Amino acid sequence: MGKKKQEMSQVYNNSNNEFIFGENGGKGKHLSSFLKNLSLTGTSSTSSVHSANTDNIHEINSNIYGTLGYSSSKVSSNQSNSGPPPKRSVSYKDLDDDWDADIDVSTDSVVRRSPDNRNLSRVTKVESNTSSRSSFNLQPSPMLDSLYPDLTLPATNSSVNLNSQKPTNEESLDVEDYRTTMEINRLNQISSRNNKFRNILISDSIVNLQDLRKLAWNGIPSELRALTWQILLGYLPTNRARQASTLKRKRQEYLEGLNASTIDFEDTAPSNSSSLYHQIKIDVRRTNQSIKLYGYPETQQSLRKLLYLWAVRHPASGYVQGINDLCTPFFQIFLLNYIWQLQQRVLSILEADTYWCLSRLLENITDNYIHEQPGIIRQVGDLRNLISKIDLELLNHLDHEGVEFLQFSFRWMNCLLMRELSISLIVRMWDTYLSETPLGFNNFHVYVCAAFLIKFSNDLKEKDFQEILLFLQNPPTGHWKEKDIELMLSEAFIWQSLYKNASAHLR
Amino acid sequence: MSFPNPATSVKLVLLGEAAVGKSSLVLRFVSNDFQENKEPTIGAAFLTQKCTIGERTIKYEIWDTAGQERFASLAPMYYRNAQAAIVVYDITKPASFIKARHWVKELHEQASKDITIALVGNKYDLVEDDTEEESLRKVSVEEGKGLAEEEGLLFFETSAKTSYNVNDVFIGIGSKIPEAASAGPNQIHQTNNDGRIDLTSDPNNRPRAAGDCAC
Ligand SMILES: Nc1nc2c(ncn2[C@@H]2O[C@H](COP(=O)(O)OP(=O)(O)OP(=O)(O)O)[C@@H](O)[C@H]2O)c(=O)[nH]1
Ligand SMILES: [Mg+2]
Repeated sequence: MGKKKQEMSQVYNNSNNEFIFGENGGKGKHLSSFLKNLSLTGTSSTSSVHSANTDNIHEINSNIYGTLGYSSSKVSSNQSNSGPPPKRSVSYKDLDDDWDADIDVSTDSVVRRSPDNRNLSRVTKVESNTSSRSSFNLQPSPMLDSLYPDLTLPATNSSVNLNSQKPTNEESLDVEDYRTTMEINRLNQISSRNNKFRNILISDSIVNLQDLRKLAWNGIPSELRALTWQILLGYLPTNRARQASTLKRKRQEYLEGLNASTIDFEDTAPSNSSSLYHQIKIDVRRTNQSIKLYGYPETQQSLRKLLYLWAVRHPASGYVQGINDLCTPFFQIFLLNYIWQLQQRVLSILEADTYWCLSRLLENITDNYIHEQPGIIRQVGDLRNLISKIDLELLNHLDHEGVEFLQFSFRWMNCLLMRELSISLIVRMWDTYLSETPLGFNNFHVYVCAAFLIKFSNDLKEKDFQEILLFLQNPPTGHWKEKDIELMLSEAFIWQSLYKNASAHLR
Repeated sequence: MSFPNPATSVKLVLLGEAAVGKSSLVLRFVSNDFQENKEPTIGAAFLTQKCTIGERTIKYEIWDTAGQERFASLAPMYYRNAQAAIVVYDITKPASFIKARHWVKELHEQASKDITIALVGNKYDLVEDDTEEESLRKVSVEEGKGLAEEEGLLFFETSAKTSYNVNDVFIGIGSKIPEAASAGPNQIHQTNNDGRIDLTSDPNNRPRAAGDCAC
C-alpha cells in the first residue's frame, strides 16, 4: 500500500488530491481498478455495433459508471436517426444523466423552469446557491454541472459543513475541538480560494480571462485545474454559452480524424509499415515508465492515437521525440478530473449495491450472528453428523485426539471459509452458492465444509491433537486452483443429494 | 514426540476485550513478531510455544480467544481445562479494564480452582513517552495492581509492539505453575514496584525461537 501510494502520488504530480489519497479518502490501491474501468467504458462506448444487446450493456455501463463517454460519430448518428429516443432516468434516478447531452444556456433555462420532479432538486440548488455564494457551505455550482458535462466539480467535502452543524463550545475547547477548528480554518481558506475561481468561472456569461490569469498564476485548485487549463489554452471558449457545444464538436472532430486513418492502434497489431507510427509506438512505450499510469496498455494506446493524429495533421514538424512527454500533463490532469467524478458517482453506487447484496446474503444466515450464534452451532453439529456418515474413521480419530468440531470449524461457518481460501476461489464458490436454491450459504455450505475437511482426511489421521489444530488453522490451500474448488463443490453436491433428508431426520 | 528435558505441558487461555492485543501478545511470544493491523480472531486460535525457566521446560498450549462480545459464549470451552489464563486489557481503554474485571470474576467462578491467572495491561508503548499532564494512559498502574492483589493475580504491563515485558508474563506464569507432583521452590515471585516480575533471568534472553514449538 505504501509503495502504491507513492507511485500514485507521482502520477498526480503530488497534486493535493485529498479525495483519493487523503486520510478519509479511498485507498490508493483502488485507483488502478478505476483506471481500468475508465478505459473499459471508453472502449465499449466507441464500439459501433448497434444491437439490443450492446444497448443494454451501454445502458448498464452508464448506470454504473455514469455517462462519461461521448459516442463516436457512427454511434451517435445511429442513436439519433434510428431506434427510439434514449430513455431518460426511467429506471434509474440520476440527476446527472444528461451529462452527455449537448446542453447550452437556453436548454438549461428550460430545465430550470421545468416542473419535472426530477429537476426540482437542481432548481433548489440553483436558488440556494445564488443566495449563499460566498458562504462557507457553498455547494458546487449545479450550473457548472450542466454546462460542462465532463468537468463536473466534485461535491464539497461534507466535513466542511462541520462549522454550521457543530458550533464550537468555547468552554470545553479541548484538543479535539482545537484540531477541528484548525481543520475548519484550513478548509475555509481553501474554500475561499476555490470560491474566487468558481466566481470567475461561472458568474458572468463570458469568463474574464484577465482575472482568471491573475488568479491562476499563483496556482489552481486541483479540482478546477482541468477546466481552467482548457480555458487558458483557448480550447474551451470564454463564452460559456458556447463551451459545451465546442467541446462536443472538437471531440467529434478528433474522432473523425482518427477514423480516417488506417492505422490499427492495438498494441498487438502487426508492426506497421508507417515509420512515423513506428517511432511513436516505441516512444510511447518508453514514456514515463516509472509511473504506473503510463504502463497500462489503454493509456499507451491513447497516447499513440493522439500523437499520431497530431503528427499527420502537422506535417511541417511531424512527430518529434519529446512531444510524447508534453502530452502527459494534460492526460493525467484530465484523467484526474474524471477520477473525481468516478469516485463520487461510482463509490456511492458501489456502496449501495454492496449494502443491498450483503443484506440479501445475510438474510439467509441471520442465525449465525445473533446471540450465542445458534446457526453456527447447528451447522457445526450438522458437519459432525455428516462426517460420521461419510468418513467415520476420521471422526473417530478426531474424537480420540479430543479435537472438538467447534474448535476448528467455528471459523469456517462464521466466515464462510473466507479465511481458508483465497478471494478468487471464494468468488468461484459463490457462483455456485448463489445458484443453489435456497442459497448455498447456509445448508449447502455445511456440505462444502465436509468436503473441505475430508480433503485432508489422510493427513489428519496421522496427526495428534495439536498437529490437527495447527494444520486446520492454516490448511495448505495456497496452491489451490478453481478446479480444486469445483471438485469440492461437486462432492458437496453429491453428499447433499445423498444426505439432505437424512440429516434433517437425524437431528 | 520427545524432548531432551521432559516438558511440562501447560494449557493457557487468553481472554480480554476485542483489540486489546491478545493475538499480538501471543504472536510476540511465539514468533517474536508484531503486525500493525492484525486481523480479528474468529472463535479462537491455537498455538504452542516452549519456554525454558531454569531447569524446567514448559510447553504452552495456547488458546487465543476472540474478544468480541458475540463470541463470548465460546470462552468456557477454552478455559474449562486451562491451568493458566492471561486476562488482557488495554491501558488506554478504560472499558477494557472493566471487561478484564468481569473475566477474572468469571474465571474464579467457572474455571478450575487452581488456575494461575495473570492480569496484563497491554500497549505500554503508547504511554511510555507521555508527560504527566498529557497522557493516553487511562488505567493507572495502581488500579491494575490493586485488582491483581485483590484477586491474587500476577500483574504486568506489556507492549506486544516493543516486546516490553511480554516474555516475562509467560515466564512468570510458568514459575507459578506447580510441577506435576510438587510445587517447585521457585514458585513465589512477587511483583515489585514497577509492575515487573523480579526475575533472575536476563529479560533479553528470550525463550526458544519460533519454530521450536513441537508440532
Ligand atoms: N501500540 C500498540 N498496539 C498494539 C499492541 N498490541 C496490539 N496492538 C494493536 O492493537 C490491535 C489489536 O490487536 P490484536 O492482537 O488483534 O487484538 P486482539 O485482542 O487479539 O483482538 P481480537 O482478536 O479481536 O479479540 C492491532 O492493530 C495491533 O497492532 C501494543 O502493545 N502496542
Ligand atoms: Mg485476536
